Amino acid sequence: MNVIEIDKLTKYYGKARGIIDVSFSVNEGEIYGFIGPNGAGKSTTIRTLLALIYPTRGSARIFDKDIIKDGHNIRKDIGYLPSEVFYYDNMKVIDILKYSASFYENIDKNRINKLAEIMDLDLYRKIDDLSYGNKKKVGIVQGLLHQPRLIILDEPTSGLDPLMQQKFFDLILEENKNGATVLFSSHILSEVQKLCSRVAIIKEGRIISIEDIKALQKNNYKKFKIDMGEAVNDDYFNINGVANLVKNASVYSFLFKGDINQMIDKIHGKKINNLIVEDPSLEEVFMHFYEKEA
Amino acid sequence: MNIFSQELKMSAASMIYWTASIVLFVLLFMFMYPPISKDVQVIESILSNFPPELRRALGMTTLDLSQVLGFYGFLFIYILLIGSVYAMKSGISVLSEEIRSKTADFLLVKPVPRTRIVSAKILSILSNLIVQNLLFMFISYIIISSYVNGSLDTRTFILINLSLFQVQLFFAAVGLFLSVLIKKIKTVLPVSLGVVFAFFVIQMINQSLNDPKLAYITPFAYFDVSKIIQNVGYDTSFLIINIIIIFILTALTYIIYQKKDIPSL
Repeated sequence: MNVIEIDKLTKYYGKARGIIDVSFSVNEGEIYGFIGPNGAGKSTTIRTLLALIYPTRGSARIFDKDIIKDGHNIRKDIGYLPSEVFYYDNMKVIDILKYSASFYENIDKNRINKLAEIMDLDLYRKIDDLSYGNKKKVGIVQGLLHQPRLIILDEPTSGLDPLMQQKFFDLILEENKNGATVLFSSHILSEVQKLCSRVAIIKEGRIISIEDIKALQKNNYKKFKIDMGEAVNDDYFNINGVANLVKNASVYSFLFKGDINQMIDKIHGKKINNLIVEDPSLEEVFMHFYEKEA
Repeated sequence: MNIFSQELKMSAASMIYWTASIVLFVLLFMFMYPPISKDVQVIESILSNFPPELRRALGMTTLDLSQVLGFYGFLFIYILLIGSVYAMKSGISVLSEEIRSKTADFLLVKPVPRTRIVSAKILSILSNLIVQNLLFMFISYIIISSYVNGSLDTRTFILINLSLFQVQLFFAAVGLFLSVLIKKIKTVLPVSLGVVFAFFVIQMINQSLNDPKLAYITPFAYFDVSKIIQNVGYDTSFLIINIIIIFILTALTYIIYQKKDIPSL
């Protein structure tokens, strides 16, 4: 079953482009990545799904219900963490969490304490006195306390230190193990790489590709770094399937997609000082991808 | 219910401050009542040197300052003004709160329809205004009674005071409507002051020119204190106009807020 189904969703702000014909669907139990540079339309898509803004054209369904008509029913089962969190002034952390909890039925009261403990959050401090990172923690607890079936994360890790990021990821993975579906928007690919199974790539308001992460990363590309011990042509390695070829003194580095034996043949018989072959990070694949598309 | 009580918590202090300030206003200016009522001829002879247009604009011609309710009625013009600013401010701020404090991503992703948010917030304004009016009426009754020998004309007193509530409803509705119409409101009080004073100035011009058409566009004319004292009642057609305007603006508020795109942070 698809938890999210987006069909040609389009949003214009006046004449300004928000998103154009965005379509993708997220399976139940999946952690789905949503990546693209700032301003590509990630937040616009998410805000439309939450009915904070209304689409110009197209439609979307969550839990097989229309996001506009059934918005408030859908939102019972959604936990949302925005990229920046703001709360009403003059409230304590516990007040805001209790207020948030009051919107949902069957809340497990212990969950606030449990989540706060995991995220190392002091419940009795005033919101105004919290640092950016701590406010973010409030957002995390607030977004997860009603055990949502769908968790929507919009650039969730900004402001969290690496230790907290790790705890946060563990928390998300656990929720996922317990059945929650996750839509994870980010421009940081390594995060997406760590968590997600599939990813939709958005650029200038349009989905340009939907990829299986493991396939994207493992099966296709190898990253080569060859320190040549003898001089060769600048184009020597520029065969079919090579991308991002860079020569730095005697060191050639590039991405290669294709039969690895072809590359071994190229090196065979040449004198080389050093050779590194590795899986590229998603970042590198992605940059290549973006450059090709541009 | 949770939104309603949260709104009350956030607005209670402000309601108390504004109520206290109009109580203080009455308390201070009623001190001037005994000396003024004694020398009312002197004051009226001074005032008679003013051009009649100005006297009318200030509401000086129709109110009998030697009578306690006449004097209170004169003060009440300014109480209406202050109370209206408060109501307008409440109206503008309540629905723009989430956009101004960037908490829309908190409240509007909760499992409630937007109409319920609007209802809860309007109800919180209504409660604040009712409490404010009851408090104010009660305290000012005690203050005014202390200046009367014999009994106070309670009916007139209540009619004067209830006009505050009705004018406030008008401005709260205008505030609600403006708050959903304008994309991003940054400051609330300057807008409220501006709009209320504009309506007040229209009333001054209306009184000064005696132009009956102008009276239709300002609630200060719907509830003209001197006429309330004279007739011991309201003008029915103005009463209805006021209710219709409040109704229309509130309905538009629901419709526009329902369709509004919430600007991102």
